[in-house]
Amino acid sequence: MLIPAHARRLLLVLLCWAATAARASAQPLPEGPIRALDGRMAVSGEVIATLGSRDDEAWFNYTDYEHNALRMMRLGLSASWRPSDWLGFVGEIRSEDLEQPAAYAAYVRVRPWRNHAFDIQAGRIPPTFGAFGRHAYGTDNPVIGYPLAYQYLTSLRTDAIPATADDLLVMRARGWKSSFPVGSQTPGPGVPLVTAFQWDTGVQVRWKQGPVELTGAVTNGTLSNPKLRDDNGGKQFAARVALTPGVGWIVGVSGARGPWLAREIPQTFAPLQRALGADVEYSRDHWIVRGEAVWSRWSFPEPLPPANVGTVGALAAWGEGRYRITPRVYLAGRADRLTFTRLRGSVPRTRALPWDAPVTRVEGGFGVYLQRNFVLRAMAQGNWRPAGRVHDRTFLSAQFAYWF
Amino acid sequence: MRIRGTTTLSIAVMTVLLCRGGGADSAPSVSPAANGTIRGRVELRQPPSDPPPRPSVTDLGMSTPHAPIDRRSVVYLDPAPRAAFDTREEPRPRMDQRNETFFPHVLAIVAGTTVDFPNSDQTYHNVFSLSKTRSFDLGRYAAGRYKSVRFDRPGIVRVFCDIHSHMSAFILVFSHRYFSVVDDEGRYRLENVPPGTYTVVAWNESAPLESRKVVIAEAGGDVEINFALGRR
Repeated sequence: MLIPAHARRLLLVLLCWAATAARASAQPLPEGPIRALDGRMAVSGEVIATLGSRDDEAWFNYTDYEHNALRMMRLGLSASWRPSDWLGFVGEIRSEDLEQPAAYAAYVRVRPWRNHAFDIQAGRIPPTFGAFGRHAYGTDNPVIGYPLAYQYLTSLRTDAIPATADDLLVMRARGWKSSFPVGSQTPGPGVPLVTAFQWDTGVQVRWKQGPVELTGAVTNGTLSNPKLRDDNGGKQFAARVALTPGVGWIVGVSGARGPWLAREIPQTFAPLQRALGADVEYSRDHWIVRGEAVWSRWSFPEPLPPANVGTVGALAAWGEGRYRITPRVYLAGRADRLTFTRLRGSVPRTRALPWDAPVTRVEGGFGVYLQRNFVLRAMAQGNWRPAGRVHDRTFLSAQFAYWF
Repeated sequence: MRIRGTTTLSIAVMTVLLCRGGGADSAPSVSPAANGTIRGRVELRQPPSDPPPRPSVTDLGMSTPHAPIDRRSVVYLDPAPRAAFDTREEPRPRMDQRNETFFPHVLAIVAGTTVDFPNSDQTYHNVFSLSKTRSFDLGRYAAGRYKSVRFDRPGIVRVFCDIHSHMSAFILVFSHRYFSVVDDEGRYRLENVPPGTYTVVAWNESAPLESRKVVIAEAGGDVEINFALGRR
């Protein structure tokens, strides 16, 4: 069984419907958003079904919602209402694996001056940091999997922390369900460097002039743990500068810092998650190539003995590309690497180890457009990690993504 | 959803009609002295408002307003007289990309025509079509550049931009020359039509096809046919 029975049934219905509609030229799938309120409101949706092999040993593709990104049914409905030129409301509800829908985005957008590209957004807002988080998954993600920085669960948790370096080292490659002696005693999933599966809540401003775009935001959560309500020691500040030096180029640098630990963790000060990011995109003809790097550090309330390490870090970097070989068919691939800073445990004469197991991921495959807004993808993904119960695993996955 | 489905049904029907354009065996031979003109107006009873862009929750600010879509109708003969298949040298048509809009939104051409797709915006566009009549993908190219596509088969080609989902256009490819895109007032004119009996068809992307029988007398002359296209 690849997916739960109820999801299988729905998937079957969707596949039959899609296949029938795609074949019958008289009844293709709808192509554009539904409009209402004299064209000022637009509603669109997406259905993304991913079928892949089971992964309940290595947990390479599990997300912060304990779902497997390569075995996921995602339904989304988004709407925008623009009652006037200067005011807009935007929202999206989403259900993963047919669970109760949740508000993924819900914010108000204001443009105070008509002739200036200066916008204020407040609510559950799009991510300021990095580039991948603002790509529409169904249309912009060239492969099926996510970049490690945005999905792979490190062993760090926001509600439980290690007391010693050994507590951390013993959890290497166990980010799906880690446990620590301080804080919550219930095992639970760790956090990624930046999550792509939940947006933060706060206020964001954006100013764009020519090739320069500046964005800043104040939010409740952190990159690793976006929050609807603040449960940590204060607000996160994030900023991004993006340049378009020429047509086809986008170069960006980002930074963010904010308290990341839940208040129930004993702390005399609010330890921070600090992150820096750099991204670049170039596209031309039938090519699109992207690269992004994220460097994140997390501080602890107390240094971890025996080496008294007060901060741990992680660096993720990847490159991806897509080439359209015919109007309907494209090839795509991504190479990804996630590494961690080292620390020494209490065992004498042992070398320092990365505090979590480094991961290498390579994914490649192809996509076929059956319709402008209906694509089938098939990918192979290899993962390597020098720790945990499973050190390497290859996954084959297929996906159909439809949006209107 | 239903509206879109109906739209495509009519497009499919029309594609068949267009492909039959060469089958005018019963059409009389050309006699220039007696040719007539079919003219008239096409009115849309309920012109649709422009489709909104797909809500993009990831945008960091307000989207730029786009130019309004000029959904013109096309009127054509079905079947067409034999003379319609004569070849002529004509200027190469263009479908420009300006303000994230295709200009013109509707282009009618004869099979065998090459269309230029210049990019007049400061951003990339990626013109493509997955239509059975002619599928192509011009890739991303910058302002000031253009790429071209030759259309050899009659039918309807839906054109899109891979980067801007709200951009779309229609290219109607005919196997003959008896077609006309209406002007700003909705007027059309089919000239040099040899005597005979024809079906005049009016097409608009947002309305069902409408057709009328028309007879051009041996003495030629003008025939006025007006259409009032309903909403799908």
